Amino acid sequence: MRKTVLTATIMSLGLLAAGAASAQPVTGSVAINGSVASRCSFSTDNVVLNIGEMSITSGSTSTLGTYDHTKLDGLSTPLTGFCNGAGATMTVEAFPMLNTSFTGAPPSGFDDRVDYTATATENNVSATDTTLTAGPGAPGTVGYFSSNITVSFSNSATPGGGKMIAGPYSGSVNVTLTPTT
Amino acid sequence: MRHSLSIAAITLGLAFAGAAQAQSTTDTRSVTVNGTVAQVCVLGAPAPTSINLGQMAATSGTRTGKLGAIADQSVSLPATFCNYGGTQITVVATALIEGNDEATPPSGFSKAVNFTANVSGWTPTAASVTTTAASDGSNATTTSGGPEQAQPNSTSLTLTLTNFSAPGDSILVAGGYNGLVTITLGPDGGH
Repeated sequence: MRKTVLTATIMSLGLLAAGAASAQPVTGSVAINGSVASRCSFSTDNVVLNIGEMSITSGSTSTLGTYDHTKLDGLSTPLTGFCNGAGATMTVEAFPMLNTSFTGAPPSGFDDRVDYTATATENNVSATDTTLTAGPGAPGTVGYFSSNITVSFSNSATPGGGKMIAGPYSGSVNVTLTPTT
Repeated sequence: MRHSLSIAAITLGLAFAGAAQAQSTTDTRSVTVNGTVAQVCVLGAPAPTSINLGQMAATSGTRTGKLGAIADQSVSLPATFCNYGGTQITVVATALIEGNDEATPPSGFSKAVNFTANVSGWTPTAASVTTTAASDGSNATTTSGGPEQAQPNSTSLTLTLTNFSAPGDSILVAGGYNGLVTITLGPDGGH
């Protein structure tokens, strides 16, 4: 069947060409369509930051054993990514640093949690979230970009300003790039 | 024939559209933050740091030369804490011993004064120890551990010295007497 059609086509074109030599030109067109999907992607992997000892280990007895906010405040790390649509957004959801070995409610005068604010910045666009409230923060519109996103930490503190319960602590920040829908 | 080509182009267009929809993606990366807090215990600075009992022997009456009435003594250790559970107070008490005369006192005399050291505040039941020195000053030191504190704890401790007594209620040898109480806060014996 295909052979038959091709043969017919060639014959028809041949006829048209022959006709062109003596009549109006005839043009055939082939439309080629394609698309690029809205897309956001990171090119760097997840990041792990180790800040070591988090409590104050010397000095006044009133602050000894309490959280040392300088260990986290001002800390930053880059992520690299891109979005290819004008309406692409960036959202941050931060989770508090929790003592992973202590169970139950902290005794009076002690804390087992560090709250903080995480901010992701791409050029002049920022998205932020605080661990004091559950859920992600408001998204920021990053649009078209291909560059570093800087994730930084600030305003870290324990709920009661008490002494920190010994043990390992862990928290995390999720940065999500969402393409134009 | 042109009509046939247009149909083919539309078909290709649909195919691309389908592929584009499947590739639309959201991407997330996480930044994990890890830290540690080391186990630590801090004993508050004792106040006062020393106790002077002054003249311990009665200087008149039927007990002249023997131990007089000595009031209970108290020392505060504020701002004491451990940031982990499973801790214990250990008290080491050394009786008051007359330190200038190395000779064994004659019968009826003593160069030692015993007492009870009680450290309260860490657990509901205090850590307590009573010295049992002999009249010649031997066996002057006694050690005792308190109950375990299972939780991190922050409090003020109180050391109380009570029950001063001389072995056999003997006459005290003249001289200067020195005793000592050492308080240790840390993991209990089972940790």
